[in-house]
This record gives sequence, structure tokens and C-alpha cells, in this order.
Amino acid sequence: MPTIELAGKTYEVDEDGFLEDLDKWNEEFAQAYASTEDIQGTLTEEHWKLIHYLRNYFQQFGIAPMIRKVCKDNGIDMKKLYELFPTGPAKGACKLAGLSKPTGCV
Amino acid sequence: MTTDIGPPDYKTMIPPVVQRNYGKWLFHEILKPGVLMHVGESGEALYTVRAGSPRLLSTETIRAICEIADTYCDGYLRFTSRHNIEFLVSDKDKLEPLLEELARRSYPVGGTGHSISNIVHTQGWVHCHTPATDASGPVKALMDEIHEYFVTMTLPAHVRIALACCLNMCGAVHCSDIAILGIHRTVPKPDNSRVPNLCEIPTTVASCPTGAIRGDMKNKTVTINNEKCMYCGNCYTVCPAMPIADPDNDGISIWVGGKVSNARSTPKFSKLAIPYLPNNPPRWPEVVDAVKNIIEVYAAGARKHERVGEWIERIGWERFFSLTGIPFTDKHIDDYEMATETFRSSMQFKWR
Repeated sequence: MPTIELAGKTYEVDEDGFLEDLDKWNEEFAQAYASTEDIQGTLTEEHWKLIHYLRNYFQQFGIAPMIRKVCKDNGIDMKKLYELFPTGPAKGACKLAGLSKPTGCV
Repeated sequence: MTTDIGPPDYKTMIPPVVQRNYGKWLFHEILKPGVLMHVGESGEALYTVRAGSPRLLSTETIRAICEIADTYCDGYLRFTSRHNIEFLVSDKDKLEPLLEELARRSYPVGGTGHSISNIVHTQGWVHCHTPATDASGPVKALMDEIHEYFVTMTLPAHVRIALACCLNMCGAVHCSDIAILGIHRTVPKPDNSRVPNLCEIPTTVASCPTGAIRGDMKNKTVTINNEKCMYCGNCYTVCPAMPIADPDNDGISIWVGGKVSNARSTPKFSKLAIPYLPNNPPRWPEVVDAVKNIIEVYAAGARKHERVGEWIERIGWERFFSLTGIPFTDKHIDDYEMATETFRSSMQFKWR
């Protein structure tokens, strides 16, 4: 199984870099991962707001929220979402938030 | 970096004769199998030579095609919606030399009129993770056997063949004269150790068309009611931790009678003809024989312009099964409730 070393810690990930064991997520993981998802420097408050929103939603409902729900609940639009996470809400934000890899005909 | 620029404008890549006669064509003729002539109001003509392609092409093949187009077509060519190559010839004198060159290189010229043109197909074992069969393999095996129908125009009407390697039905299997569709016959097996990390359980439960999947929230996994499962594999699409592929039981079903055009009769969905044939690579002889049989019985019995579905509706399904010798089984009886049959799936209607 591939592993990735971030900020001195080793994590088991799949070939696309998604966490294999979702419980291993922590904030250092998200921060250390940001640069591989085209996010410069440290994560801002806006980033963290979205990451925690995604995690809370996933914990409560067992699924990642629909994109419309993300935008509505956070008062942002898709453009802003892509400014924050250039690789997109699924590949970028969900990966940093430690959610399971999006599936289906993506 | 500039993004969202879209594809290049197609009008920059069409032959000058098409530019000049754009939207001003008078008529067309099929000169011979695979060769078309379009004549514009101006009197100018465009000659089109249609050649088969395997759809999966190497860059080298594409370069070879470009080279041919450079020599005979001033560099102009196009691909059709069934993945055939069309060489667009403006200079009539270059038509015969082009045909000779294509014959020399063994490019099959055909696919026009009442023929069997290319098979619309999918990824199969080449690239996809949910297939129940291969795509390129069966397509090659079948087109080898029915090659004469590609290069001639002897059928009552054109016969569209499509292949999809799983029930996602990418492509056109649901609306083709003859459709080849990969199916599973066993229940998927959830891997309880991987489901919690890989899958969204509510999504997996909701993906099941028969409600056979239930969430097991205590163990953060799912359970399947085997009696309700009909092996569609949809849950595997959304949850990678419940594989369904089974080399011994996966195989192919054959469907017939679909069409998309509004000519003469409304568009139709294809209907089940053969519930299961085994995967038998590399030549899939059972599948090839079954399709050939349907084509031959259809060609012998249908009237001119009558598509497979129209022919079956005229003679009735009982007669279709008796003429083709295909056994009718309980698997043929639809047991899935869908309202779509009551919808008008056609553009045929009158303005008030």
C-alpha cells in the first residue's frame, strides 16, 4: 500500500492520495497536504471553515455534501470554492478533509 | 494559464468546398459502399470516403490517417459518430487513387446505406473497473465475421450494433438494432474491513434499484439481501469495497429492436433476446454466432427499409423467437417497475 510522509508522519493512502484510514486525519495532515493540491502557504480561516464543515457533515450523515449544499451552507459560490481549492471540492477539499474518495462516473 | 477556451472552432477545419457550400447542399448520392457524393447549389461536389476504424487508435495510426488525408484530401478528414474515418475529397480525380491506397493499406471502405456500420462500444477490460465483459475483443471478433455487411449494402435497412461492457450502458446499447451487453450473475461481496473507510454507506444503500442493500450502522458496513439482488453492480460503482466481477459467471446478454431515428416508426428501446452467453475470449464464438443468426434471419424476413425492431413488431415476438430458434425463458419477462413506457420517447407529434 502506498504511503505518504507529511510533516514527519507517515500516512497510508491510496494511489490518488486519499487516506486509507479516515480516523487517522488531523489538522497537520490537512496543512501538510495543501501544497500538493495547489494551495500556497498556510490554510486560511476560510479553508478551515470548509474543511470542518465537510468533516461535520460527513460525521453526521455518512456522506459528503452535495455541491449546492456546500455553497448554500457556507454562503459561497463555486468560483470561490475553486479559488480556495484549485483542484476542486472533491479532489481537493474532500482529500484535505479526510473524507473517502468520491466514487461513481467521475 | 487561460482556461475554459472550449474546443477549436470546427469551421476552421472543414474543407474549402464545404465552407463555400455550407448549408447550401442540394442532394447526396451513395456512389458505392463507403463512397458518398454531396452536390451543392453551386454545382460543386464533395466526395466522402468512409473507412472503418477500431476506435482505439495509436498515435502512429492517426499520423498514418493524416498522411493519407494530406495526399488525397488537402489534409481534411473527419470522424463520424460511429467512429468511422471519413476522408473528404474535393478533387474527383483523387477519389480512385485514394480508394486504391486504402485497399493497399487494408482500410475497410464501407458503412454506408443499408449496411452494418461500425459498432459503438466502450472500454471493457482495456480501461474500466466495472465491466462484465470486454469491448474491443468481442467487437473485433464480430466485425471479422460480419465484414461482408460493412462493405456491402445488401440488408433490408441499416443494422446498428452496439456493445456496452456493463449495465451502465455507455454508448447506444439501449437503442440499437442489436445490442451486446455485459452482465453479472452473482451477488457482490462487501468487504467489511474496507467499507467503513472507502464507502459512503447511505449512497451505497441508495444506489440499489431493488432496495436489496441495508446499512449496518453498528459495524459501519452494509448487508445484502441475496434474494433481492439482480447483480446490476451499481453498488460497486459507488462503493469500491464490494466487488462483483466473477469470471465464471459474468457474460453477455443480447438485446434487439432498438432505434433512435423517427423515420417511419418512433424510436424504440432494445429488448432482451438472449439473457446469457458466456465470456469466451478471445473470439467469443457463442456471441458471434448468436448475432450472426439474428442478422441472417432478419435479412431473410424483413421488408425493405424495415429495421429489426419494426420487423419484430410486424411479425410478433413469438415469431421472432421461433424463427431465430432462441429459447424464450422466464428471464425475458420484465419484472422491474418503470413508468417510462408510458412516456412519449419520440419527437413524432403534431403542433396542436
